[in-house]
Amino acid sequence: MPPRVDLAPKTDQEIVSLARAGEEAAYRELIRRYERPLFSLLFRMVRDRELAEDLAQETFVKALNAIESYRPEFKFSSWIFKIANNAAIDHLRRRELDTLSLEGSPQAETPEAIEATALQIGGRQESPLAEVEARELGGQIEAAIAQLRPEYRSCILLRHVEGRAYEEIAEILNLPLGTVKTYIHRARNELRQALAHLRE
Amino acid sequence: MTGNSASPHFGPDELDIWLAGTPSPEMRNHIDECCTCLELVRAEEALAAELAALPLYAPKADLADRVMASVYIPDPFAIRSLQAARRRLLASPKAVAIAATIALVLLGSMTASAAWTLANRETLVAAGNWLAGEAARWAWVGLRSAALNLTEQPWFTGFRSLVESPGRLALASAATSLMYVSGILALRRLLAVPPQQVAHANG
Repeated sequence: MPPRVDLAPKTDQEIVSLARAGEEAAYRELIRRYERPLFSLLFRMVRDRELAEDLAQETFVKALNAIESYRPEFKFSSWIFKIANNAAIDHLRRRELDTLSLEGSPQAETPEAIEATALQIGGRQESPLAEVEARELGGQIEAAIAQLRPEYRSCILLRHVEGRAYEEIAEILNLPLGTVKTYIHRARNELRQALAHLRE
Repeated sequence: MTGNSASPHFGPDELDIWLAGTPSPEMRNHIDECCTCLELVRAEEALAAELAALPLYAPKADLADRVMASVYIPDPFAIRSLQAARRRLLASPKAVAIAATIALVLLGSMTASAAWTLANRETLVAAGNWLAGEAARWAWVGLRSAALNLTEQPWFTGFRSLVESPGRLALASAATSLMYVSGILALRRLLAVPPQQVAHANG
């Protein structure tokens, strides 16, 4: 049996090289390094623990099975966060499409009446489970983050929770740098307004 | 800073610089004098601190095992191109379905071919004999053409007289071998790595 190599001090690139050489321990080390940051991002994006688990699993499986296509000149963290973010955004878009809004009563004439009589299936209202998840996420700030648009949410989480640079966020989200800055600025404004009552 | 010159309040870029902890002296002076920007900066700092303090959540403990059950670990001794092909083949249900369809088509055509062969043995033997005869005829024509072409060459007479005299043939062989060895030695000298230059002190 070959001697066990201590992988903790190695860089991501070194671990990826070992994984490409067929070292199972290297795969596990990559999962160990990124499971919490990825899961936290996904949980905050989709606000559903089970779903975040599934998306985290999907992200890792996709990334590790495509490890040969990873280009070492880019940061591994950017690459795997990009896959995770795409998975979350895809899911949120699908959920949006699944939201079937049946039109209101034909007798309703005003917009308020139409809204009052419309049947919402799978709408944005939080289910009892989602409320439990929200409580688990806890705190006003988590609730305020949840109210942000998904694009703003990704940006603010990557910037202020993950501490990623603007350039890296632009790379992860495949957005122009200026757009990332605008999104983060708007997200901070919205969060400040949402939390203003706590500071008064 | 953005805004008019009378009240140049902080814009997004200045707030970023402030949060990064690298404000210029002018920005510090501005904060000392502008209550609006001071309030904004304090709120941004508080928000950034709250966001940075958000906890990381842990997935279930068996996430790594679940992931590893679906991950294909490459065999370092296998041929890389084959590994990649196998991984692509099993990447998605769609890819598996396409591969299975191709395999079925191949298998079907092979079976049909074998069945036809068994049912038409005499036709195949006749076709084989005809093909073999044609191939032999064309090979003989090609050989004759090459031999004729060789004997027509201007150097062929000299070469023939050389081969007819064993003494001259031995001499020619020795001269050719000598030229070959000399050529090899010359090439080695040309391709040899130059020796490391020693630095000399000038002065």
